[in-house]
Amino acid sequence: MYDVVIIGAGPAGLSAAIACREWDLHVLVLDEFPKPGGRLLGQLHQEPSGEWWNGIQETNLLLEKAQKYDTDIRCGVSAYHIEKLEHGYAIHTNQGSFETENLLLATGAAESAVPVPGWTLPGVMSIGAAQVMTNVHRVKVGQKGIVVGVNVLSAAIARELQLAGVELHSMALPASNPATVQHSNPNTVMDGLVRIAHLAPSAFLRFGSKFAKASWVRRLAVKFYPKGGVKMWGMPIHIRKAILSINGNDRVESVTMCRINADGEQIPGTEENITVDFVCIAGGLYPLTELAAVIGCPFRYMEELGGHVPIHSERMETPLKGVYVAGNITGIESAKVARAQGELAGLSIAADKLKAHADLQQHVEDAVKLVATTRADATIQFHPHITDGRHKMEQAFQQTKSS
Amino acid sequence: MDDLIICRCEEVSLADIKRTAHMYQCSAREVKLRTRAGMGYCGGRTCRPAVDAVLEEVTGEKPGNDIPLKVSPPVRPVSLSTLGGSERHE
Ligand SMILES: Cc1cc2nc3c(=O)[nH]c(=O)nc-3n(C[C@H](O)[C@H](O)[C@H](O)COP(=O)(O)OP(=O)(O)OC[C@H]3O[C@@H](n4cnc5c(N)ncnc54)[C@H](O)[C@@H]3O)c2cc1C
Repeated sequence: MYDVVIIGAGPAGLSAAIACREWDLHVLVLDEFPKPGGRLLGQLHQEPSGEWWNGIQETNLLLEKAQKYDTDIRCGVSAYHIEKLEHGYAIHTNQGSFETENLLLATGAAESAVPVPGWTLPGVMSIGAAQVMTNVHRVKVGQKGIVVGVNVLSAAIARELQLAGVELHSMALPASNPATVQHSNPNTVMDGLVRIAHLAPSAFLRFGSKFAKASWVRRLAVKFYPKGGVKMWGMPIHIRKAILSINGNDRVESVTMCRINADGEQIPGTEENITVDFVCIAGGLYPLTELAAVIGCPFRYMEELGGHVPIHSERMETPLKGVYVAGNITGIESAKVARAQGELAGLSIAADKLKAHADLQQHVEDAVKLVATTRADATIQFHPHITDGRHKMEQAFQQTKSS
Repeated sequence: MDDLIICRCEEVSLADIKRTAHMYQCSAREVKLRTRAGMGYCGGRTCRPAVDAVLEEVTGEKPGNDIPLKVSPPVRPVSLSTLGGSERHE
């Protein structure tokens, strides 16, 4: 019987494991990917300070610490079911079952697909898949591609592909259909773009300051958006052009692009074909919560957090005894926040287990504060109202506990 | 546009979803059960948000606090021998 089994070896799971090992708990970390690090492994971007955030280096720092404390991390292990036992939980995986008193779910986020006609052709991939192939596996995804979907994640990853020498024609919106509502409206997309202006210190800052924060300025910017797109790092970003279809017989051969009005409606007669051999679709992220659902955690739907999220406290505990959550499963945020949440979750688990250690409570409180300051300082913010979402979630937890 | 595939594992198109919603005038949950959208090999990991967005458009139902279609184990594809219990325990 383990003191704690952690599912997910991303920044949240690894930091939690380190905190638990510092307090000498009996810990096991499981991850289904062949390597530890989670989504950190693919990350590479420049901070406004000019410094680079290199996910592989950040992963190595965490792994060195984990090794120092003799942490048991097993990769290639996929958890498919969790059952409640009398005094804990049984985790069923493709490599056998594990029993534990406490459980930390740090399973991260998944990508939303954006269905446009032809999206099931070989050569179409999610933007995250392109990131993993490029930065983790070092495989060139194709000769020339296009990005469908303009948001924080796709802008960051498009830049990574460019740095790796992969040619991109441009970024554009998906054409409007019932499955792409949020992603196909130029005004909504522009609101999001202004928030990522700081991502690209030189090129994109100009973009951001041009369109400022006032909503009437943004409306005007959408209305008079240049036909050739606005260039970021030399690559055109189109929010008044959309991809109508992805074409090809056995694989991607081209896309059909058209101009759209400020409401996202197609302007007839503006269709053009663009030759590409791969397409990255980017529909944003949502918390990967299946395991929390399977053990019966109650949920809340909160758009600010990216979708359905298991109810949890600011100490990262759920209403189920011994079940904790940390990282993107609790809401979509950057890797630094996930890392701070992981440390907090690890300390909470240790504090609940080793009740006699009074100073542990103080560590937990400090860690709660660190999560808040990390959030406030975050370079990448996926949702504008994240802090409101966090407050609402704390209220939901208190309500659930008292009822 | 209506032949656009929404759930690729079960090959459910936009037209299938619209037709089912109109024919049975039913909840988003029932549309999923009738069409199997989001219930294929990937367990809905790829298409769940797209299926939910389409259903919201088609049925006008806003997402509630419960996950629209209950998640059932196994949440990953597993072999029969794994399920059969010839596995180790720790
Ligand atoms: C494609 C993509 C790109 C991103 N790019 C950026 C970026 O550039 N900058 C940024 O700040 N943030 C980015 N993010 C956000 C990212 O989610 C966070 O930065 C951070 O990695 C979240 O950490 P985490 O520990 O919560 O989850 P993750 O890092 O996602 O780690 C979760 C781990 O859990 C494992 N897992 C999940 N389910 C199971 C299971 N059933 N059994 C076993 N193991 C399981 C996964 O294999 C994974 O390794 C990106 C996210 C995605 C999906």
